[in-house]
Amino acid sequence: MNLVTFEAIAGQTLSGISVGMVLFLIAAGLSIIFGTLKVLNLAHGSIYMLGGFLCYGFTSTFASVPGVFWWTLLAAPMIVGLVGGLIEIFLLRRIYAQEMLYQYILTFGLILIIGETCKFIWGVGYHTVGAPWPFNGKVSLWGLSFPVYNLFLIGCGFAVFIGLVALMRYTGLGRIIRAVTYHREMANALGINVPKVYTGVFMLGCWLGGLAGTLMPPMSVVALGSDMAVIIECFIIVVIGGLGSLPGAFIGAIILGLLTAFGIYIIPKLAVAFAFMLMIVILIIRPWGLMGKPE
Amino acid sequence: MKSLVNALNSNRFVLLLVLLLFLLIVPLIMKASWVSLVNEMLIMALAGCALNLMLGYTGMVSFGPAGLYAVGAYTTAILLTRYRFPFAIAMISAPILAGIIGGLVGWFCVRRSAVYFALLTLAFAQIIWTILFEWYGFTGGDNGIVSIPIPEFFFTISHCYYLTLIIVGISLLLLWTIVQSPFGKTLQAIRENPGRTEFIAIHLKRYQLAAFVLSSAFLGIAGSLFCVFSGSVFPDYAHWVKSTDMLVICLLGGFYNFGGPIVGSVVYILLSKMISKQTMFWMFFLGVIIVFLVLFMRNGIVGFLSEKLAPVLDKTSGSGPDEGTR
Repeated sequence: MNLVTFEAIAGQTLSGISVGMVLFLIAAGLSIIFGTLKVLNLAHGSIYMLGGFLCYGFTSTFASVPGVFWWTLLAAPMIVGLVGGLIEIFLLRRIYAQEMLYQYILTFGLILIIGETCKFIWGVGYHTVGAPWPFNGKVSLWGLSFPVYNLFLIGCGFAVFIGLVALMRYTGLGRIIRAVTYHREMANALGINVPKVYTGVFMLGCWLGGLAGTLMPPMSVVALGSDMAVIIECFIIVVIGGLGSLPGAFIGAIILGLLTAFGIYIIPKLAVAFAFMLMIVILIIRPWGLMGKPE
Repeated sequence: MKSLVNALNSNRFVLLLVLLLFLLIVPLIMKASWVSLVNEMLIMALAGCALNLMLGYTGMVSFGPAGLYAVGAYTTAILLTRYRFPFAIAMISAPILAGIIGGLVGWFCVRRSAVYFALLTLAFAQIIWTILFEWYGFTGGDNGIVSIPIPEFFFTISHCYYLTLIIVGISLLLLWTIVQSPFGKTLQAIRENPGRTEFIAIHLKRYQLAAFVLSSAFLGIAGSLFCVFSGSVFPDYAHWVKSTDMLVICLLGGFYNFGGPIVGSVVYILLSKMISKQTMFWMFFLGVIIVFLVLFMRNGIVGFLSEKLAPVLDKTSGSGPDEGTR
């Protein structure tokens, strides 16, 4: 009896963390964009979904190419990042000076446009993508069989987290991004090309969303509507961790992943409500989040 | 009162009278399908105006109006279906309960501003949605509640239409009185400059909470009317996509005019019917329209028209020079 419980807990923990890692990638993009551009990008879920559809599109079209998934993993996030760059240059840039409300509504318009475009190209059905070669098996952990791909996802999440923190903290580019985030006018006065940084950061955020979208399909399905579901979860994550904070997004994603995994296991009906309640509690008692700094 | 006298003398009043007369004869001259379309427009117009009390007049961006709209709809539905309450009481309870829940939610929400306020309203609306979606025993879960025992009198679409017209008319008149009152002016002062408004000894949070509760109550009325109109309620009424529908209606017409959401609702519903008849991808065009509006017509249709037509129309007909200029 004891053993069964332990296995169950281990299984739920692992699957919770692997879902959490994918969510972390999306939430990190959302958080970076909010931190620097001060734009709450509602369309970030759509960016993720676009990555998922590109993953399906590439892997099904070029199915005969060996290692197609890995090429896709390279190409799809970049394409999504470029789309993000176009969005920033042609749309978002024009409304930074306006009230926040317009950003919400503009990015909501983008949700509709991207969603309908995906529907137009790939149709309304569910699509699946098989796990790629070295990670397509199962592994036995504590007597419990577990997909290797999920472990790979966890590894990816940690790697990207460490990479991003290193980028922000130890490189010149990271210093510039932090300077712009900290004080836009002063950074501008010191000769930093702020619009360029904005475009770059938005592309980086979208690249992360696209990466998550490309990584997710082998574990789940590609379907319309995942944009709306994911963006709400990302809001919860960035609020728990602190809007604009990378470690916050990481911790928030793990908390949400575990909360959902165990919530579904224990009280399936209220799992979603729990996450929202946690979000409300944090917003009320500590609006800058667990890892953020008070303004 | 003075504004009412002013309005009486202006072109706007004539326009309003013509519109009202037209609305009164709608069931006589139109097909049933069009009557129900106009009915839907009226309800959405009320929901939009209720939201705009917070959005345009007080400057509080809410992501969760649909939650309170759904509270209104479900109150009427549950009182009628489960407890067999008299119709009138079931309808009156909707704004009261929506107001109470709005008060509870608002009490927490007004503690935060800007993006945090928006996210709080979103979280509360999603909790309402989860409750409606999961509580099968009480709310019917994702099946919703269908075949609500509405008095047979309102089965006829024209009767239902007149009920909607009367209630929406009274509600809009009340909202108009509210925004023209000193209270309404205070709300606008909060929107323009919260800091300075606080300096002249106005308790910001109290006013914001009052705006939240009023807005919730009117959203409750709109929800209740929609419940009577459609005879069924579903958890999707509370979903945040519905909230953004309402936001889009306000944007389409214009935030800084009282009539904005009304025009927005008419145009939105007409557009959705017309484009969705032509193509199954109508949301794409809606998205393009939204992006276009945000980039080029930020004051919405009414704002745009009043800007362009202001020199042509009677100067006294404007409700203040500050409204179309933002």
